Amino acid sequence: MAAPTTEDAAPTADVEGRSPWHLAWARLRRNRIAIGFGVLFLLIAVFCLAAPLWAEYVAHTGPNQNHITDKITIDGRLTNVVSTDGIPIGPGLRGRYLLGADQNGRDVMVRLMYGGRTSIYIGVLAAVITTVLAVVVGMLAGYYRGWVDAVLSRILDVIWAFPVLLLGIALGTTLALGGLSIGGLQITGNSLWIPILIIGLVYVPYMARPVRGEILALREKEFVEAAVAQGKGPLRIMVSELLPNIISTVIVFCTLNIANNMLLESALSFLGAGVRPPNASWGTMIADGYQTIYTAPHLTIVPGLMIVLTVLSLNVFGDGLRDALDPRATIRLER
Amino acid sequence: MRRLRRIVTILAATAVTGAGVAGCGGTKSITGAGGGAKGGEVNVTMTSFPDYVDPQLSYTVEGWEVLWNVYTPLLTYRHQKGDAGVDVVPGLAKDMPQVSEDGKTYKLTLRPNMKYSDGTPIKASDFTYAIKRLFKANSGGSVFYEGIVGAKDFAEGKSDTITGITTDDNTGDITIALERPNGTFNNILGLMFAAPVPPTTPLDKESTNNPPPASGPFVITRVDAPNTLTMERNPQFNTVKDAGATEVADAQVDKILVSQNKNNSAQVTGVQQNTIDFMSDPPDADRLPEVKAKFSDRFRMEDSINTYYFWMNTQKAPFNDLKVRQAINYAIDPEALNRVFGGRLHPTQQILPPGMPGYDEYKLYPGPDMEKAKQLLAEANPADKDITVWTDDEPDRKRIGEYYHDLLNQLGFNAELKVIAGDVYFTTIGNTSTPDLDTGFTDWFQDFPHPDDFFRPLLNGENILPTNNSNFSQVKIPANDATMDKLVEQQLTDDVRKQYAELDKSYMEQAVWAPYGNEQFTTFLSDRMNFDKSYRHLLFSQDYTSFALK
Amino acid sequence: MLRFAVRRLAGMTVVLFAISVIVFLIFNVIPNSDPAARIAGKNANPALIARVRADMGLDQSLPVQYLTMMRRIFTGQLTSYSSNQNVAEQIWKGLPATLSLCIGAALLWMAVAVWFGYLSAVRAGRFTDRALTILALVGISLPVFWLAAILLYFLSYKVQLFPTGSYVPLSESPVRWAYHLILPWVTLAVLYVGFYSRVLRSNMLDAMNEDYVRTARAKGLSDRQVRLRHVLRNSMIPIVTLFGLDFGAVVGGGAILTETVFNLNGVGLYAGQAIGKLDLPPLMAVTMFGAFFIVLFNAIVDILYAFLDPRIRLGESAPV
Repeated sequence: MAAPTTEDAAPTADVEGRSPWHLAWARLRRNRIAIGFGVLFLLIAVFCLAAPLWAEYVAHTGPNQNHITDKITIDGRLTNVVSTDGIPIGPGLRGRYLLGADQNGRDVMVRLMYGGRTSIYIGVLAAVITTVLAVVVGMLAGYYRGWVDAVLSRILDVIWAFPVLLLGIALGTTLALGGLSIGGLQITGNSLWIPILIIGLVYVPYMARPVRGEILALREKEFVEAAVAQGKGPLRIMVSELLPNIISTVIVFCTLNIANNMLLESALSFLGAGVRPPNASWGTMIADGYQTIYTAPHLTIVPGLMIVLTVLSLNVFGDGLRDALDPRATIRLER
Repeated sequence: MRRLRRIVTILAATAVTGAGVAGCGGTKSITGAGGGAKGGEVNVTMTSFPDYVDPQLSYTVEGWEVLWNVYTPLLTYRHQKGDAGVDVVPGLAKDMPQVSEDGKTYKLTLRPNMKYSDGTPIKASDFTYAIKRLFKANSGGSVFYEGIVGAKDFAEGKSDTITGITTDDNTGDITIALERPNGTFNNILGLMFAAPVPPTTPLDKESTNNPPPASGPFVITRVDAPNTLTMERNPQFNTVKDAGATEVADAQVDKILVSQNKNNSAQVTGVQQNTIDFMSDPPDADRLPEVKAKFSDRFRMEDSINTYYFWMNTQKAPFNDLKVRQAINYAIDPEALNRVFGGRLHPTQQILPPGMPGYDEYKLYPGPDMEKAKQLLAEANPADKDITVWTDDEPDRKRIGEYYHDLLNQLGFNAELKVIAGDVYFTTIGNTSTPDLDTGFTDWFQDFPHPDDFFRPLLNGENILPTNNSNFSQVKIPANDATMDKLVEQQLTDDVRKQYAELDKSYMEQAVWAPYGNEQFTTFLSDRMNFDKSYRHLLFSQDYTSFALK
Repeated sequence: MLRFAVRRLAGMTVVLFAISVIVFLIFNVIPNSDPAARIAGKNANPALIARVRADMGLDQSLPVQYLTMMRRIFTGQLTSYSSNQNVAEQIWKGLPATLSLCIGAALLWMAVAVWFGYLSAVRAGRFTDRALTILALVGISLPVFWLAAILLYFLSYKVQLFPTGSYVPLSESPVRWAYHLILPWVTLAVLYVGFYSRVLRSNMLDAMNEDYVRTARAKGLSDRQVRLRHVLRNSMIPIVTLFGLDFGAVVGGGAILTETVFNLNGVGLYAGQAIGKLDLPPLMAVTMFGAFFIVLFNAIVDILYAFLDPRIRLGESAPV
């Protein structure tokens, strides 16, 4: 696996083998755009995680605190946060209400940061659920084939064929009312776990199918035959032989899945079936901002831009990851 | 009734031109004396299409607005704005009913020689048919008429006829027997639920797609639910006028096209640019200041009879404690809620709204006073601080819910907000088996201008229904119930009004509700409309017979 | 081959059945969505509600209700709970708008995607490629409803270039029909252009390294001829199959957000309104309609693949 790269120091007598991971990492590092966007995502995440600090020290208010009849001093004059006609103040260069207020007198900047936390949190956790489920289902279906595959594939088909938004809204509305109790576990209607579970479920076929396809192909390879001959049980084969080979696919899909999850969460929240009021998420903020898009377009534009930037960074970075992990990528680029 | 605006939770985006509205070329005909051009076409938009285009079934504000001038009941309300419009006057009947001494028998006579819009004669037995339809088509309004002798048996199928109503088609006599005297019965006779319809109308099904022929100044010529409907002058309306029905107003335009448009902002722009002549709903909060400022020559605020309040479940902790309820009354800030409504909510602390007979202003809980509220809460020291706050998902109601939720948290509770889809909100909180019904949003718009319409469904202990409950606070005060029953049997004299006012105060001393506002509505017309003539009726919203082109 | 097709179609039926049962259960499990109580009205007492429930057949057991509903769907007699309208009729009325939107957007996105993907592959690694890649990635990162709002705000309000939406039937005026649909087409297409152009790019790059391309070049064909005749054609196969699946999904309700924001009276908007009212019959009908399309295209694609690739239909590693 020695690759003649310029990264080697002066040629030595021994030829050092470099693992595919090293090579991938080297390729990734060369892709500056991908690294750049990866850093952007981290910055956005840090920004959102800093929400409590901003709320405490700069804005002096929480994300859900209403200040409809409060007054603040702007340019030396005492101004209503929300006018008697119901119009909130706009953005301005100040600590409190940097991006202005919404119709309930809440600080939009604070909500933006907390909303980001919620949206990213949901995106990541749902991706974890999707990945775990997809890997398990894909492995079982690909390895055992036969009727196991038939049943699992049909289940995936059902989820796949279900119009996503309708499923999301239906479940979101149902569960929001009564919450969920599985066994002894109680989830209240307003919990974030409900959108997380729904979004996690929806994208399972998206990842499980490619995993299944790869497992089907890998299964025919000699090293699996060898492992079977050695007497290894199916579970060990799946974990120690097959899993490492699909890891790179899974990593890429997982990254892109986070992006898709955030988009789906914003759509569900926009429709009222995702994050429940009064909690903020970028999707609910767009929905709220729609009410006043004429007089305060920034309330719609800003949360949307945040979604676009975050999702874009994940997509670009995931793309870079894919190119880095796929050995044929370099060949492609060289014509 | 509640203002069930069935607005989809999904919001439409902004618009500049009025969406989906046909052009409105109006023809102005020249008149002689008598002021104002008569004729022309008008187009009207509303955010929610009428629930039913059927006089016996429609029970929303939009439905009543459209149908009031299409179907005339035996009695009707004066076509005037303000308090004058609250009076019941003869419609298709010759005079007000003759009520027997014991208050249980009502006698009316139908005017002779009147015809429906399709030429068929209007008969006395058509009134009975209409009441029968109420029960057989399962109308929500049927409950008002259950007091008629034999109605319940008919409803349950035990009888083929309603024994309490006898009519004579030759003389036009109609006699109605009630089980108990009812001081609201004249008001109820004035609602479209009791408007006669010919027996060709389906008895047990709604007739939205093919409405029955009209007995009012307009007839509905075309329905494409839930998008548009067309109203035109009723060619047979002169038969009603000639028979002496002077209180039923005549049309001043030839045609009205009613369209649904889910986008309030688009409607505002449409009226501003004169592509829409009238919008039923008030402009949204963010457009209102601009309309008020720039279009004051064709915009005005209008009164309406409604109360917005937070209900508090008096049967469960923590709201079973009087001090907790009083604390809430001290804490809420009607001005904040007014701003959420764009400045259209008048503060109140009464059960009855201004304009309702029996209204009297008093202030038991001057405020907002957070200190007093916290002090009361400290005294009450409720053990159960976990409460669920309910609201529906219409944008302004959602904001009200969020305000209330934050307020309760500031008071030291651990509140959880539940936002429920508009169409199922009232059935959800109206189902007493729904868990965690602690407190939440509601409103009530009058069904008819009599205080009993507020007290009975909302506060009477007998009316805590297992489903479709409206007494959300689950109030049960037997002494007040007895007063209510006594007062309803009497006619509405000044003394009775005073007693209703005291009933109001007695309930608020128990702080059964936390009322905060009466919503105002608006009239906003295009340039071509005669602004002075058009008005909003206190019960039936905009009076379409008041539409006239300049 | 026939056995495979039959098995596939049988699988399709099972999937549709499962979906219908799931939708039915979800909506019957929602507390307080009892349509009888809602229809009976605000003041209704229990007696009235009971009468309404009996009239609507809601007092029957769940399996019986399910069968009745399915029977009504197939005979086109299903009426909604909240109004007396026939569901099939409403879906039929909504089809022109939905199809206009989807087909128009599909043509747009395929044309642009093929063009961008081809350019990207041919100039791989260079500036054009990088720019188009970023553009494509931005395209798939935009929330549809937000893009629609922004387009409307800037192009319809600030600069009154386009109308706000709402559907004008083709029969009424082809020019206005198209004019009203431009923004919706662009909105729906943006997402898919990004995705498809990248798939095409990657397929073309893979294909260009295949042996048959080298052979073709060795034969003396020009670069351009090679690209168009061999590479592009072969790269389109996976594109076409993906297109089939996506188009099925879009017609089947995937356009709900676009239709809602632009106020197009299509099938998606109808479903959205039904959800808001928790009105089961239209929801069931639209979900089945959508699922049917998706599953149908899925099955057609699989059968086509089996037909084209003997390994798949014969081998043990055949996808079920």
